[in-house]
Amino acid sequence: MAFQRNPTTLGLMPTPVGAPASGNGHQPPSAPGFIRLVGLSKAYQEGDRRRVVLEAASAEFARGEFVALLGPSGSGKSTLLNLVSGIDRPDAGEIWMGDWDLTGMSERERTLFRRRHIGFVFQFLNLIPILTVLENVTLPLELGGSSVKAARASAEPLLDAVGLLDRALTYPDRLSGGEQQRVATARALAHDPMLVLADEPTGNLDEAAGRAVLDLLDRLTRQAGKNLLMVTHSTELASRADRVYCLHAGKLQEAPCEAPPYIHSVVSCSDAAGI
Amino acid sequence: MSRPLLKIGWRYLVRHPWQTGLMVLGIALGAAVVVAIDLANSAASRAFDLSTDAIAGRATHQVVGGPRGLNEAVYTRLRVEAGIEAAAPVVVDYVTSPQLGDRPIQLLGLDPFAETPFRSYLAATSAFGAPPSRARSSDGPGVPVDSLVAFFTRPGAVLLSEPLAKEFGLRVGDRITLAASGRQSTGTLVGLLHPQDALSQRAMQGLILADIATAQEVLGRVGRLDHIDLILPEQEASLAGRIAALLPQDARIVPIGARTGALAQMTAAFRTNLTALSLLALVVGMFLIYNSMTFSVVQRRPLFGALRCLGVERREIGALILGEAVLIAGVGSVLGIGFGILLGQGAVRLVTQTINDLYFVVTVRDTAISLPSLLKGALLGIVATVVSAAMPAWEAMTVQPRLALSRSGLEDKVWRAVPLSALGGVIGLVLGAGFLTVPTRNLVISYTGVFLVTIAFALLVPLATLGLLRALQPVTGRLFGVLGRMAPRNVDRALSRTAVPVAALMVAVSVTIGVGLMINSFRGTVVTWLNQTLWGDVYISAPNVTAARSSAPLDPRVVEVVRSWPGVVKAEVLRSVDVGSPEGSLAVAASAGGVWVGPNAACRLA
Repeated sequence: MAFQRNPTTLGLMPTPVGAPASGNGHQPPSAPGFIRLVGLSKAYQEGDRRRVVLEAASAEFARGEFVALLGPSGSGKSTLLNLVSGIDRPDAGEIWMGDWDLTGMSERERTLFRRRHIGFVFQFLNLIPILTVLENVTLPLELGGSSVKAARASAEPLLDAVGLLDRALTYPDRLSGGEQQRVATARALAHDPMLVLADEPTGNLDEAAGRAVLDLLDRLTRQAGKNLLMVTHSTELASRADRVYCLHAGKLQEAPCEAPPYIHSVVSCSDAAGI
Repeated sequence: MSRPLLKIGWRYLVRHPWQTGLMVLGIALGAAVVVAIDLANSAASRAFDLSTDAIAGRATHQVVGGPRGLNEAVYTRLRVEAGIEAAAPVVVDYVTSPQLGDRPIQLLGLDPFAETPFRSYLAATSAFGAPPSRARSSDGPGVPVDSLVAFFTRPGAVLLSEPLAKEFGLRVGDRITLAASGRQSTGTLVGLLHPQDALSQRAMQGLILADIATAQEVLGRVGRLDHIDLILPEQEASLAGRIAALLPQDARIVPIGARTGALAQMTAAFRTNLTALSLLALVVGMFLIYNSMTFSVVQRRPLFGALRCLGVERREIGALILGEAVLIAGVGSVLGIGFGILLGQGAVRLVTQTINDLYFVVTVRDTAISLPSLLKGALLGIVATVVSAAMPAWEAMTVQPRLALSRSGLEDKVWRAVPLSALGGVIGLVLGAGFLTVPTRNLVISYTGVFLVTIAFALLVPLATLGLLRALQPVTGRLFGVLGRMAPRNVDRALSRTAVPVAALMVAVSVTIGVGLMINSFRGTVVTWLNQTLWGDVYISAPNVTAARSSAPLDPRVVEVVRSWPGVVKAEVLRSVDVGSPEGSLAVAASAGGVWVGPNAACRLA
């Protein structure tokens, strides 16, 4: 499936792969990857200094792939997620999802694209504290225009899948960290996105809870044919991914790569990826 | 706005009752003061209009004299020599009566035989009454025939409106003591006027009707008239000129509109000042709203960031904040209107008392709920809230979604804005100073200058706060150790949250000090002036219904009593009257030492 812009609603509707791209007029390069990052560069101005976070980063992910992104703090992992989700724009380069070039879209188009096709799992959860568990999960559906009834019908099986249906009417602050992360996972998947971005989703959890959340993410994304791009510091978690990318000093490199200094428990990224 | 966002906005307000309450209170107080002052102003204006209307009736012109009015002979000349039929003599002034609550009430002395074309208070009911189609809104339907007969024939006969008599438990036949300019007389209530509607009731609420001779006796003006009402046909413009030629030197003919317009202008500045002060209250309320709104946005930045990540558009976030603001504005304005009506009851007494003391007497004790005043209050409340919320809404709209992923950024942004804010403050100060130095008495220009200066200082607050805290830090550190260093640094590092409350507090304190200084300096000037001008220890004058200077002479026996009073070292007498002149009103003051004439002739009474 590829995506095309609906000129009347600015919504993005799935169309068969190979259909001519409309709107921005960009045609994808000849590469076959479903998600393609082409020569992405990003730098931030910090006082008088320009700090380069990404430098000509390129990567391709096939449909349904689980990709882990490793890198030290401040290496630009979150920046890369921001670019892939269309939250931020690169200084140079292109981001393709199917036939669509995110970098050619306006801010509003990217927002609507995100609403429809991208799910987020944040490190700090970012559940809406004034909405119940069920309302948090139905939020992306209702934002997409679903009725309350339809949203509820879609959200309840997900809550059941994460084992929290009985806590549907509870507010997030009554849940444990692991439970909250499971709600966040359900929310990220509620609107059936094509890509789930997870920024250290187990960073605040103990080992067992982290493993459970990852099992869940894996089951509901890769096994359901969706793409999962996960930022993590844990080589153990990364070892479950289909592919591992390392980000260091602005360079994005697919494993096997040179072991960066922050990884002490493994010899190299390739080991981490089990390649 | 989508349903979940409405839910998020609503629940935020409900879950933060103190914060929401503060915002509602801010707008409610602002709107209440505006509504109260507006109601009081409009009540005073309406009372003035009704009072003018009740006295002037259908007259188009008036012949007026100097401070002592007109000689009756002028009326005779107009009727006999000029053949003006539509002319009615009037004697009118304020009296008090213990039977009527000792409040100022207008005694209107009329000639019943000349009245018909002007006012129909004295039209008999039924067979003798004026046709309803001719009745004016301020007219009563008339008086029973037997009361009218008593009014014509009985000395000291007076008429009151039925509601006024009822308010004080007076019945036909009761005797009423009337006090004016230090003299007391007794009248008899011979009949009651029955107002047709609330408006005429209001007009007659402050009115005692008497035959002109009775009024002259009560007011001590035998042989004098206050003015003569005339109805001159519009097509005969030259008639006014011919009448003017017949008048003595101290009398003149003036159109009714010009006379009432001049009186209305006298109070216009006073009312504008009150309105401006009520708007200042609204500005302080706006700061409160801005402060609370900004705080709520700062508090929810991660939430907005998360929502943006989930695909919520900027305009939806802006609509969420403005929607909350409108809801708060609606509740605050409704409460404000309620408070305003209550406050207006008190304000109308203060406003009318001030107008009575400084300008002329208006008798109004109630505020009529005026829809335009309420709408104005509500509209101002809503507009003020939306304006106050616009900047926080913009701030929320521009929250970067990545803030949900990274927690830094806000304070950096605020710190970057400090020099810009200070620059805006300097520009505001220059503009404000420019407005204030414009040589004009236009209140709008002056208030614009004051407003600009106030905002300019508020914009300078972040820079000043940083500077002060930096200077304070070594001192507090030395005094209180680590905690002493932490406290100022906390304010410093959280400038996004602290700058606005500091600015709001600064505005509130500076306005309080400013108004206090103004009042004190005004009082000081008056005291200095009084000390330089008035040399006596005690001043005695004929009593007056209002606080304005009495024009009535003192009884010579009072002067003798005062002079022979034990302990009185010296007593001087002084007579001061206002007289008309081609240059305008002049005060002529005469004492044992000489005569002063001038627009501001100082008077010493002893």
